[in-house]
Order: sequence, then structure tokens, then C-alpha cells
Amino acid sequence: MEQYDVIVIGAGNGGLAAAATLAEKGKRVILFERHNIPGGCGSSFRRGRFEFEIALHQLSHMGTPENPGPLREQFARYGILDEIDWIEIKELFRVNFPDGTGVSLPADREKCVAHLCKEFPAEAEAIKEYFKVVYDFCDESTAFAAQSAKSTGEPGALKKLIMKTGFPRIYPTLAKYALKSTQEVLDEFFKDPKLQLALSAYWCFMGMPPERFPFAILAKCTYFYTETKPHYLRGTSMMMNQAIMEAIGRMGGVVRLNCGVKRIMLENGAAVGVVDENGVEYRAKKIISNISPLTTYGALLAPEEVPESAREYLKPYTVGISALTCFIGLDCTPEEIGFTTSFTLNYESLDANKDFRDAYQLLPDHDPLVATCYTVDDPSVSPPGTSIITAGTLKYSAEWEKLTPEQYYEMKYEAGRRIVARLEKMYPGFTEHIEEMEIATPLTHMRYLNHPGGAIYGYEQDRMQSVFFFPAESKIPNLEFASGWVTSCGFGPNYQYADGVASKIAAEV
Amino acid sequence: MAKTIKETLLGTLVHGEEILESIRVSRSISQDKIPVGNIADKKVAALHPERLSLVVADIVDTGKNARIIRFAGADGYLPPFEAGQYINIFTEIDGVRTSRPYSISSSPRQRAYYEITVARTAEGFVSDYMIDKVQIGDRFSANGPAGVFRYQPVFHSKKALYFAGGSGITPFMSMIREVLEAALDRDIVLLYGSRTPEAALYHDELAAYAEKYPNFKYHLVISEPAEGWQGETGFINADLIARLVPDYAERTAYICGPQVMNDFCKKELESMGVPAKRIRREMFGARKDIQNEPGWPEGLTGNEVFRLTVGDRVIDARSGESILTALERAGVRVNVCCRSGECSLCRVKLVSGNVFLARGMLRRYADEQYGYIHSCKAYPIGDVVIQL
Ligand SMILES: Cc1cc2nc3c(=O)[nH]c(=O)nc-3n(C[C@H](O)[C@H](O)[C@H](O)COP(=O)(O)OP(=O)(O)OC[C@H]3O[C@@H](n4cnc5c(N)ncnc54)[C@H](O)[C@@H]3O)c2cc1C
Ligand SMILES: Cc1cc2nc3c(=O)[nH]c(=O)nc-3n(C[C@H](O)[C@H](O)[C@H](O)COP(=O)(O)OP(=O)(O)OC[C@H]3O[C@@H](n4cnc5c(N)ncnc54)[C@H](O)[C@@H]3O)c2cc1C
Ligand code: FES
Repeated sequence: MEQYDVIVIGAGNGGLAAAATLAEKGKRVILFERHNIPGGCGSSFRRGRFEFEIALHQLSHMGTPENPGPLREQFARYGILDEIDWIEIKELFRVNFPDGTGVSLPADREKCVAHLCKEFPAEAEAIKEYFKVVYDFCDESTAFAAQSAKSTGEPGALKKLIMKTGFPRIYPTLAKYALKSTQEVLDEFFKDPKLQLALSAYWCFMGMPPERFPFAILAKCTYFYTETKPHYLRGTSMMMNQAIMEAIGRMGGVVRLNCGVKRIMLENGAAVGVVDENGVEYRAKKIISNISPLTTYGALLAPEEVPESAREYLKPYTVGISALTCFIGLDCTPEEIGFTTSFTLNYESLDANKDFRDAYQLLPDHDPLVATCYTVDDPSVSPPGTSIITAGTLKYSAEWEKLTPEQYYEMKYEAGRRIVARLEKMYPGFTEHIEEMEIATPLTHMRYLNHPGGAIYGYEQDRMQSVFFFPAESKIPNLEFASGWVTSCGFGPNYQYADGVASKIAAEV
Repeated sequence: MAKTIKETLLGTLVHGEEILESIRVSRSISQDKIPVGNIADKKVAALHPERLSLVVADIVDTGKNARIIRFAGADGYLPPFEAGQYINIFTEIDGVRTSRPYSISSSPRQRAYYEITVARTAEGFVSDYMIDKVQIGDRFSANGPAGVFRYQPVFHSKKALYFAGGSGITPFMSMIREVLEAALDRDIVLLYGSRTPEAALYHDELAAYAEKYPNFKYHLVISEPAEGWQGETGFINADLIARLVPDYAERTAYICGPQVMNDFCKKELESMGVPAKRIRREMFGARKDIQNEPGWPEGLTGNEVFRLTVGDRVIDARSGESILTALERAGVRVNVCCRSGECSLCRVKLVSGNVFLARGMLRRYADEQYGYIHSCKAYPIGDVVIQL
């Protein structure tokens, strides 16, 4: 039987980074992926002359060569930084309103503030104040994290009391805002709903409408995307996957594609190895699961092996949202059709919370529409004279799961038709230019990711289930989790989180 | 119980106590969420089962060197498909496990069975087996239905122009049957190229449809006409298209047939100003005479035998056969579906050596950068080392 230090299940961003870090630290590691390519959410597919990115709109935490962010440093450790052509995106996003107006935010604090003050002069003071709060919040949050990292174990009762009174004084912005919703904070600062929408667009990256979206995450997204600049890369996120996979091999690790894990083996309640889909057994001191805790416990263990504590622990957590996306190749340039910003969020009304309720419906009528034109920032991502656009909405899978197989294709095309009709309204002539188009529904995501609900961001990232409350603990000794289900979703956060989990384990095995 | 430091600190935040309380309530009223088994797989299975289990329910000899085979689901269920899609059927012949894709020719409106039509090919391997050996009651596993050669209502024209060559008529049968039998608001012109009228599959059925339905026109184009043939002759070229289908510019064109015909029709359409978005093509597998493909290295005949190393195995591989076939002959399991270079399931890493890559391989950019190839369309032209 093959013996390893660590087995990693799933080659999504978390699994890839975990395996790479372990290999880098000289551990014997094997990574299993059931799909034929690495990457999980973050991969691509080909149609005709186009290659479509599935997930990545904007990579966070990269920073610039002069001012590197944590992800750039992590990739440098893996030795893959120079293998990839990184593309810095100049604008955070553009929000388009139903009346045809819109606001674009530059990826630079001063320019952004200046631009917003020009667009919304009546609220100029509030805008400046808001950005100060966002930055103070992130600075305090970093300081607090550094402080917490130093302390170990539960402090005594007296220390607790001191900390309790001290905390709000040392970290006033954290104390005030860390558990507020985005809507609450926006209402506190701003009157104009357009300004509110212009500043809150990142809610769609976590799939929670402003009234449920933790301000803590909005603040961090705003801060990190501005400070480390949104990035894209040539060749889709498959380039990162392949580069990391190669690096794992180079550093002595093993990757098995086309090879799902079927079971986790336990001895005395502790994980000791896995069985792959061909029935081959592998042993290891630690196992890292990159798949959802629900599937890890439910599908890789027998029901009687699942600890009661795990059932208790996961009770309050709700499977999050999926997506309905059209991948479109156009036979014209972005300029011809009027795309100027790569990432746009398009509203049917000025009430994002109300429009978001359509996410529970089958078809995309009022749902805020996320449209990304990758060709804007780098024309070379598609053949000359063409462009690539992905446009879609967030969708829960429930209504899609209710369809009979017979209804499925019809509804899928109907959904595509509605999204294209909305694009046609904004960009007249759009439909005529479509050369290739695929539609992915929540069931498509369920099929390829194997996640319950086709969830693309793990559990619902609201104030009760994210930020301070991610279900990161494993209830089985020697089993750990590293995925978008147990930490903030997104490429950057998952790479970094898995790096942390793997580093800790590397010190133990 | 004393509060943990985390709870203590969270309690000092605005909304802290309130959110901690909500979590406590939610914990006490929530159900166990851990499922038994893999719920995602189970839910997707009705649409995309991991494997199809098929049993041969009926066989019809067409008398034309082709056989119609109808498969029922071994467990009574067949998933829905889109007219134009194929299934990839696994076989084990003389100890070799391989597979071949076949377009479904029955209408997707009924799923009591999937019908395929297998045409005999010169030196065929699986086709011979399908035509000569397969009997009612035989069981097969398959993957699919798969493929994107289909009507995409969001941007395809309701008016279609089909170009079929030989057994390439099969996906069109499914499309035609669906449109006509379900009385869909669409319009079809079919140009069917065949060597002889006798070799044309489904001719009687197609002729009868053309009689009956005003939204279906059918032209058989014979390349080797015998004395007395009254219909169209020659190749399907620009002149013929312009003459028979004057409104071709309003139509979405679909091409399915042997590669030479496929390439030719595409060129003709392009010469008539039809843009790429209106030309949809089915890659009907890899061509057998790969040594006639443009770019094939001079001096190689297709019969050279090279060493193909995979892991600790060394296999003989003929230059005229795909790496996928060499692996299958040697009993190495490779994931596979389209066998046409499009789906990427057969992707392997080329560690060293030279391969010839046939046209039509839809490779990802990252695969090009990191040396991954689709083994169904890659041919060894020297000793080769690969990694699965
Ligand atoms: C449409 C979409 C848009 C997004 N946009 C962005 C964006 O712009 N920016 C951003 O930062 N993030 C974005 N994200 C989120 C980001 O992609 C995810 O948060 C992140 O990729 C999650 O990574 P993960 O490590 O949880 O792994 P996942 O991507 O969830 O991968 C899990 C892997 O495990 C494999 N697996 C499952 N079961 C088994 C088994 N039994 N054995 C072996 N392998 C198994 C799966 O095949 C899969 O590869 C987007 C996601 C989607 C889908
Ligand atoms: C999407 C799609 C749809 C299709 N639909 C249809 C359809 O509807 N009807 C139809 O008739 N065809 C269809 N085809 C073509 C079909 O898949 C086969 O290519 C065809 O039946 C010929 O198969 P064959 O094995 O007889 O011939 P080939 O595939 O040409 O087989 C000969 C090859 O088999 C290999 N071989 C020979 N002997 C052995 C051996 N002993 N061990 C291992 N390998 C050996 C060699 O490589 C040889 O070159 C379709 C193809 C595609 C891609
Ligand atoms: S089997 Fe689909 S690309 Fe080779």
C-alpha cells in the first residue's frame, strides 16, 4: 500500500495550494482529482475558436511586482510566477443602472474617491469618510489578526475581562462595523441609491445581497482589490492550475487526475487513508479535504462513522448559492459592441435586495446581471477581432432541481435567451454577433464540482456563517478542510487559507 | 459554561450578542444537514449519469452496408438528449477495450430507445463488430449523450441548411424527426451527399417527409451517378448551394460527414460569404488516412512502429494510429468520449518525443503551454514518452 505524509482530496484552488505547500516543505503528498483537469471552479473549456473561463473574473491579493501582495509571494515560493502573463485590471468594476447611466470605479483609492465625489458631489464628505472607515477597518483587522496569532490557548478569566474592555478601545472600527451588514453601513453613510450600489458591487462575489452581505467582507474586498489591483491572466485560470500542478510534481508531490476518492478510511475514529475510485488504498498521517464538509462526511464515510459532533457542528450552516452563466464568444471587438470595462454589474432597478430575490426563481428576469468582457483588458485572450463575454446571475439550485429531465434543456435555453435579451437591450446588435454560446445552470455546476446545490461559494456567506463563523473545524482526527466551504470564497483567499493549513500540517507530520 | 474568549470578544461588537443568539437558536432548531451518499451525483444522474447501461432491443438491416441498432436502457431509463448529440459506446473485441461515438438518430421526443446507425467502413474494427456480431440482448456501457452539434435556439436561425455526407446523416435524422414530428416552427433544407442513390441511408423516409412537410426540403446529391440518375450530381459546391438554396444567407448551416467533405463544404460556404457563426460542424471522428492530412511529416507512411513509454510500460505504437488507440490496444485505461479532439477527456501529458497533432484538436491554452495533448488526435512520429 502506498504511504504518504498527506493525502489531499480535490484539486480545486484549495487542494492545489495545499499540495504545493506540502511538497515545497518536503512532505510526501498525493493529490486526487476526480475530473480530468485540475482547478475545480477555476477552469476553462473550449468551443470553436474560443476558450471560456469558468470562474475567475478578478484575482485578488496579487499586488504589483514593485509592491507584491501575498499571493504573488506564494506563487514565487512555488516558482511559477514567471510562467504566467499577469494582466493588471485598471478598473474595479462598472455598475450600470436601468436608466442607462453607470459608474466605474478606478482601482486606486485617491482616483476612486475623486471620481465618486465628482459624480455625487452632494455626498463628497461621506464618501471620504466611508473610505477612511474601510481602510481603518482593514488596518485594525490586520493588527488584531497579528495580535491573536501570538496568543495561544484560552486566557484566564481576568485576562478575558481586560481584553473585553480593551478591545473596543484598541479596535474601535472593528468593534463598530465587524458584524454590520453592508446595507446598514451604506445607509449610515449615503442617501443616493446609485452611490450605494456603486460601492457595494462586490456583494455578487460572495452571493449575498447587500442586506445580508457582511460589511467586513465588502471592506476587505474593496481594500484588497484596490491595494493589490484586480488581476487576470493569459490563458484562463487553467494556467494557474497547470502551473501549480507542475510545481507539485517538480517538488516531489504526486497528482492523480481522473481519480476520485471514494472513501476515507478510519481507524479508531481517526483518518488513516483513502480508497480511490478504482479500489486502491492509500495511507497517510493527515488528510486534507478540498471538498465540502457535507460531501466529505456524507459520501466518503459510512453514516455510522460520522461523528455526532460533526452533525451538531454543521447544523446551522446552509448550502450557498449557485450560478446561471452564459459563456459567449462574439465575432466583433468589445468596442464595436460598447463594452468598456471588463467587469460590470447591471441592475434592473435601484433596489438590489429586491432584485436579488429572483435568485430563488428559475429564470433570470430582474436578477442583477454580472457581465465580464475578458477582451477589454487583454485583446489576446480571444482571436483577433473577437471578444469573450460571460454574463450571468446568481441562482439557487432549488428550482432547477425540481425540473424534470424533459424540461431541463428547454428551461436552460429560455434562461439563456433572457440573459441575451437583457444584453441586447444594453448593447444593441449583440445577438447578431454571437458565434459561440454555452449556458451553465446550477445543475451544470453541481455536475462538474460535485458540490451540493451546485454551490459556487460554499456555504451562505452571511454574518452568521462567515467572517468569524466559518465551519473550519474537523471533527475527525487527522482530517482537515481547506476549501471555499470553510473560509472566505475566492481564488486568493483559498490559495492563502490552504497554504496556512498545509504549513501547519507540515510542521506536524 | 464560561464564554470562550472568541464569544467574549464578539459580544463586545455592535450586533455581537444578537448574532451569537441567532446562531444559538439556529443551532437548536436546525436539522442534521449531512446527507447519506453523494447527493450531487444522485441529483445530476437523471440528466448526466456517469455511465449509460444499454441493452440492444432491436436491430434493422438497412441492406446498405449499415445497420440500425436500437438500445434500451438496461434499467429502463435513458436520459434526455438534444437532437444531434452522440453516445460513446464501449466495446471489448478480441480482448481490446475501446469505444466509438455514434450519433443518436432517433428523435429526442421519445426515449423508449436510442437509435444509432452504424455504417461499415473499410478495415473497420468496431463497425464490423457492430454490424456482424452484435445481437439483440447484448449489453453495452456508454457515456454521453454528449456533443454540441445541435440547434442552439438563442442564436441559431430557425431556418437550417444541413450538409450530410454518407453516415453523417445520422445526427440530422434526429433533428429532422424532432422538428417534423413535433411540428416545430423551423425550416430545414437537407443536402445529402452520397456515392450512389442506393448507399443513401434513410432515403425513403426522407423522401416521404419531403412530400408531406412544406418546411422540409431534401436534395440527394450523387457523386458517382449511374446511367439514368435524374437528380443532382457531383459535389456539394457553391454553385449547387446557390441554385438549390437561394436563401442560404438566412440559414444556419450544419455539416456532418467525412472530413474531406466537411472541409470542402465549409470552404464553399466561406467563399459565399457565410460567417463562421453560421457554420456548425460535427467532427465525425479522426480520419483513417492520417498520412494524407496536411502537415504530415514527409517520408512517414503511417506504418512505422515507435516506442511509446507510459509509466513503466513500453508499448508498440504505429505512426498511423492515434496514441489513444495504441494505449487501448495495450490495455491501458484512458478516459475518453468524443474521439474527435474536442472534449479533452483523453488528455495526456507529452513528456518527450514528437507527435503529429491532427486538425480539430480543441486544446486549452494552458495545455499547449504545458505540453498536454488530446491522445485521440495525436500520432507518434518517433519514440514518445507520455504521462497519464
Ligand atoms: C462562476 C464562478 C465565478 C467566480 N468568480 C470568482 C472571481 O471572480 N474571483 C474569485 O476570487 N473567485 C471567484 N469564484 C470563486 C472561486 O472560484 C472559488 O471560491 C474557489 O475556486 C473555491 O476553491 P475550492 O478550493 O473550494 O475548490 P473547488 O473549486 O470547489 O474544487 C473542488 C474540487 O474537488 C473535486 N472533487 C470533488 N469530489 C471529489 C472526490 N470525491 N475525489 C476527488 N476530487 C473531488 C472537484 O472535481 C473539484 O475540482 C467564482 C466561482 C464560480 C463557479
Ligand atoms: C461524434 C461522432 C458521431 C458519429 N456517429 C456515427 C454514426 O452515427 N454512424 C456511424 O456509422 N459512424 C459514426 N461515427 C464514426 C464512428 O465512431 C466510427 O468511427 C466508425 O464506426 C468506424 O469505426 P471502426 O472502428 O469500424 O473504424 P475505425 O475507427 O477507423 O477503426 C479502425 C481503427 O481501429 C483500430 N484497430 C483496428 N484493429 C484493432 C485492434 N485489434 N485492436 C485495437 N484497435 C484496432 C485501428 O486504429 C484502426 O485504424 C461518429 C463519430 C463521431 C466522432
Ligand atoms: S476523446 Fe474527446 S478529445 Fe479525445
